[in-house]
Amino acid sequence: MHDDDELDDRLKRGAAEYHKPPETPREAMWEAIQRRRQGEPSSEPGRVLAFPRRWVPWAAAAAAVLAVGIGIGRLTVSHPPKATPAVASAPEAPRKRETAYQLATVEHLGQAEAFLTLFRASVRSGGDEQLASATARQLLANNRLLLDSPAGQDRKTRLLLEDLELVLAEISQLSSEPRSGDLQMIREGIERGGVLSRLRTVVPAGATSRQGAL
Amino acid sequence: MYDAHVDRVFRLVFRMAGDLDRAQDYTQEAFIRAFERLKDFRGEAALSTWICSIAVSVTLNGLRRVRRAREREIGLDDAPPIGSGTHQADPDLKVRLSRAIDDLPEGYRTVFVMHDVEGYTHEEIGATLGVRPGTSKAQLSRARAKLRTALADFARK
Repeated sequence: MHDDDELDDRLKRGAAEYHKPPETPREAMWEAIQRRRQGEPSSEPGRVLAFPRRWVPWAAAAAAVLAVGIGIGRLTVSHPPKATPAVASAPEAPRKRETAYQLATVEHLGQAEAFLTLFRASVRSGGDEQLASATARQLLANNRLLLDSPAGQDRKTRLLLEDLELVLAEISQLSSEPRSGDLQMIREGIERGGVLSRLRTVVPAGATSRQGAL
Repeated sequence: MYDAHVDRVFRLVFRMAGDLDRAQDYTQEAFIRAFERLKDFRGEAALSTWICSIAVSVTLNGLRRVRRAREREIGLDDAPPIGSGTHQADPDLKVRLSRAIDDLPEGYRTVFVMHDVEGYTHEEIGATLGVRPGTSKAQLSRARAKLRTALADFARK
């Protein structure tokens, strides 16, 4: 008994030394927090709240983008030459195709941004990952359509779409009961590549709420 | 909020992580999340408890990822406990104790660190971890028993 008491005392004294913290690096951490928050406008009051905290509207919206995407596909398909003079139609077709592509891309990226913002919040609060997974699959389909489009020549946009594809693919593969570690890793994947902040840079404010943001 | 709580949060996170870089990362992440979710804070617990619960959650998730990554890299059997990078081959009580705490199951370790190392009450631990104070007491008791067993040879010295 005496030995136990003595050991407890020694344990208590020893425990105080366990991972003894240094002085708090207050300033360094605050600067890092500020940098992160400046690059993450989602923390602005009202921005996230403006979206309903459900996946279903985003699934519907993603389906709408798919329709636009199909439109791009049609626009980008090579048509057989018509009898009209080539000189008159040549500059017009690429411009139309590019505009349609830009419209669809902005709409898609806007929805992806909103989706990832909600997903990130859901990871913390415990949302319905199955619905998230279904929405991610739809967005992934649109994403691939945009990546495959011959109208997608802009390198910056392509890189963003490629990074977005990785994130969407991970979310789309979530099981019905994902481990918190899986969700956290996806969340880190979103942040590591700056996908959300890049999406927000590309997408004009309000682009997700109306068609034709360009 | 940051000025009032950062020291307490950082101390706890460092005790759990045992690494300055990780402790900084987890503390920062905890405050970023707290700022983002501040509008959802309904005052059901003290603000300090609420922030600590975010910090503990961030830290435990982070440490699990580190552990998984290590296990993938070097194999499960060879994976050292988290925060055990500086242990020596011929340990005295301090080092042995540090290793024994690292080896505790996650729940026991968290409660032990919060109560015996950082001085949180069982009520605070319960509110932070979302368990009853009685559960916290039971986990602490088991944690101490495991440590006593692990360090029994020191009692005979």
